[in-house]
Amino acid sequence: MAGQIQPVVQTAGLCKTFKDFWRRPHVEAVKDLDLEIKPGEVFGLLGPNGSGKTTTIKMLLGLLYPTKGRISVLGKPPTDVSVKARIGFLPEESYLYRFLVAHETLDYYGRLFRLPARIRSERSDRLLDMVGLRQEAKRRVGEYSKGMARRIGLAQALINDPEFLILDEPTTGLDPIGARQIKDVIRELGKKGKTILLSSHILADVEDVCDRVTILYGGQQRAAGDIGELLRKTDATQITTPSLSEKTIAQVRDLIFRLEKKDILDISNPRVRLEDFFLRIVGEAQAANIRTSGARGGGEIPDFLKQPTESTTQEVVDSLVFAASQKVDPVPIQAPLLPEATGEPSSEVIQQLMGSESAKTTPEPVEAATERPRPARPDRPREKPSADAGVIDELLGRAKQETEGHSEDKR
Amino acid sequence: MTTVWAIARHMIAEGIRMKLALVFLVLIGLVVLGLPFSISGDSSLTGAVQSFMSYGLSATGVLLGMLTIFMSRSLADELVGHQIFLVMTKPVSRWQYVLGKWLGMTILNAAFLLCSGVTIYGMVHYIKRTHPPIDDRYDKAELNNEVLVARHAVRCTLPDFTKPAEMEFEQNLEEGLYDSVPDFDPAVEKARLASKYEARWRVVGPLQMRVFEFENVLCDRSPDNHVQIRYKTDVSDYASDEIFRALWVFGDPFMGARQVSRPVRQVVGRYHTVHVPADSVADDHTLTAYFYNENPYEGEPQYRNIIEFRKSNEVAVLFIVGSFEWNLVRLHILMLCKLMFLGAVALLMTTVFSFPVACLASFTIYVLAGTRSFIEEALDFSSDDFATMFTSMKEFFVQLMMQVYNVIYWIIPDFAKFDAVESLVNGRNVSLVWVLQAVFGLVLVKTVIVLGLAILLFHRREVAEVSV
Repeated sequence: MAGQIQPVVQTAGLCKTFKDFWRRPHVEAVKDLDLEIKPGEVFGLLGPNGSGKTTTIKMLLGLLYPTKGRISVLGKPPTDVSVKARIGFLPEESYLYRFLVAHETLDYYGRLFRLPARIRSERSDRLLDMVGLRQEAKRRVGEYSKGMARRIGLAQALINDPEFLILDEPTTGLDPIGARQIKDVIRELGKKGKTILLSSHILADVEDVCDRVTILYGGQQRAAGDIGELLRKTDATQITTPSLSEKTIAQVRDLIFRLEKKDILDISNPRVRLEDFFLRIVGEAQAANIRTSGARGGGEIPDFLKQPTESTTQEVVDSLVFAASQKVDPVPIQAPLLPEATGEPSSEVIQQLMGSESAKTTPEPVEAATERPRPARPDRPREKPSADAGVIDELLGRAKQETEGHSEDKR
Repeated sequence: MTTVWAIARHMIAEGIRMKLALVFLVLIGLVVLGLPFSISGDSSLTGAVQSFMSYGLSATGVLLGMLTIFMSRSLADELVGHQIFLVMTKPVSRWQYVLGKWLGMTILNAAFLLCSGVTIYGMVHYIKRTHPPIDDRYDKAELNNEVLVARHAVRCTLPDFTKPAEMEFEQNLEEGLYDSVPDFDPAVEKARLASKYEARWRVVGPLQMRVFEFENVLCDRSPDNHVQIRYKTDVSDYASDEIFRALWVFGDPFMGARQVSRPVRQVVGRYHTVHVPADSVADDHTLTAYFYNENPYEGEPQYRNIIEFRKSNEVAVLFIVGSFEWNLVRLHILMLCKLMFLGAVALLMTTVFSFPVACLASFTIYVLAGTRSFIEEALDFSSDDFATMFTSMKEFFVQLMMQVYNVIYWIIPDFAKFDAVESLVNGRNVSLVWVLQAVFGLVLVKTVIVLGLAILLFHRREVAEVSV
């Protein structure tokens, strides 16, 4: 159906009750959970311990069977083996085989995906580079620290270049470098249209990378929605400028008072985040080649993960038509960096994708020609500086403005 | 198959790297390599080789059975250690997972059997070369002819004892001998009379002769070839040197066979083998043997012995149909078939129970399969033939146990039926038919049933199941 996008995950009335030895219902881990994760979104699953996050994930993966309710993952039941070829999973702990070395571990999981030997080897090398364990590739995983094992866990979750990535507490046990790297990976994969389900206790991580979140408590959904909308404070405005003199501050205060009859609530010098400070110090140590038997900083995200998610032409066209029909208000902060698109946005986008002559004459941003459109994130606000502008926005020539405008908002 | 093979490879790597398989390999090595230096048999070369093979192969079978059960721990460990979460979230079906595990176990077992087979073969030749000779030429000939061969055995065709039994029965009936017998059963009486005639036939009095007929002696009848007669006698009132003297004559000249005579002077109560030219076998592949209970040696006294060929010590003709090497290979295939079944059982148990329980259950089944004949005999012995379940409390339990065993043994095979160690040790042919029976009955039927059950149960199981 045109415009109707198949959700990656859909649950309806999902329940899971754990039973005791005598098969009597004992604990209701998940109750009536209705969840919908759209293609291309980074979805956060939040909740305190025992709220049903991991149980939900296990049901999505077919490791647990629901007591009641329905689940569809990539359009099929989670027990369907074919679906699993399109899923990557990082469990809450790295359940790896202690007797295998890192390279063998990745090779084994690659075999289970029936990847050819050459691709397995290539991807294993790239992923080990990415997680900073290339130097330790010949060590048995049993000798790894928890953080190193998490890194291998992440690498195995990506070996099949999954469309849908499920990360259960991905930053647990990782040092800030590893945690940052995982967030970078999530952002990068999110940009390329992969769907990611992230379960985490570390709220800052979720806030950094997720588009939408749902909060579980007692196995039930308590809140759900777009993270920007949920966290936005509409009763205050924050302006960040280079350092100002006392005199200028006083003038600004006067100006605000004169125009709005309001006073400034807080004036302070912003602090650098500890994460950034830490990463700078470690980066300097790595630059000085100081020896370590642990994980290195990690490398680039492998090219194979940077490929956009495959979609059918119909899906792409459907999503673009749907996206272009949405009202998107440009944020008039600066003069546009990219040329304004002319004509009807939807028809232009379609023409561009279909390779029509009129579209070819339209000035295009370079990225739009090289990146495939993100098929199913039409209603996602472009808020974070790291967020991908998206094909629609780029084709409309508004990407840059929106990104910058919303970045300002967020700060 | 790619996935099954990947899991099998992984299972093999686990077995080797977790040192479980290596421990068993070392144990098997110690047994196989150490036995020749600790066992001497009856001090003859043949005895030494037979003892070595018997103990070595039996110990290898037991150790590999234990290894197979312990290897099933892999599945239990993955369930407990949650490594299975990562496997089951890949495109791997439950059946592929179980089959891969089983295949890995089977390949490891096959590799170990190959190692043990090669080692046993090498050690046999080492013993043959280094064993201190009593009579070197005779020792080696005996070993080569009676152990390091594959011989087919044909038992003698017994005369029909039912006819004289029938006649005597009719006569007794006419004479009214059974008139006063309560609950008289003619069939039982006829069987008893037939047994009496057979027992008489098996006893050869002094200066008497007995004829043994063997049919289907399908050997190569060339004059330079030979067949063997294997027998064991019990002798009453034998000579003080515990040796009996007798004469064998082989071949019926009226049937186109060469007739030869073989005087024997042999120890009482042991198996003996007499070599007979193969052309003593008639054109219709029958061999006639005449046994004379008389001392053929001139100048020696005639001992008035009564010689008995007991039913449990069947007289047989043996002729070579294959080599020791192929016999050894076939024996190992039979062992592998048993281990394949045991592997399936161990996996079935692991899919249902935690490892300690699964291990115990698998060992129980292993023991039940190995001792099936013994248990059946014991239960049969305990039960009165004419009793029912309600005759007595003891009978109730015995009958109940028999019913339970009947159910259990519907699926548990009789491992003793596929135990070829004794045949190999005695130079008997481990026939291809026997191997095929094992492949079909043990692997293609019972192992497939057990594996199917394991897959079904595992398919229904939640691998992340939590019991609270």
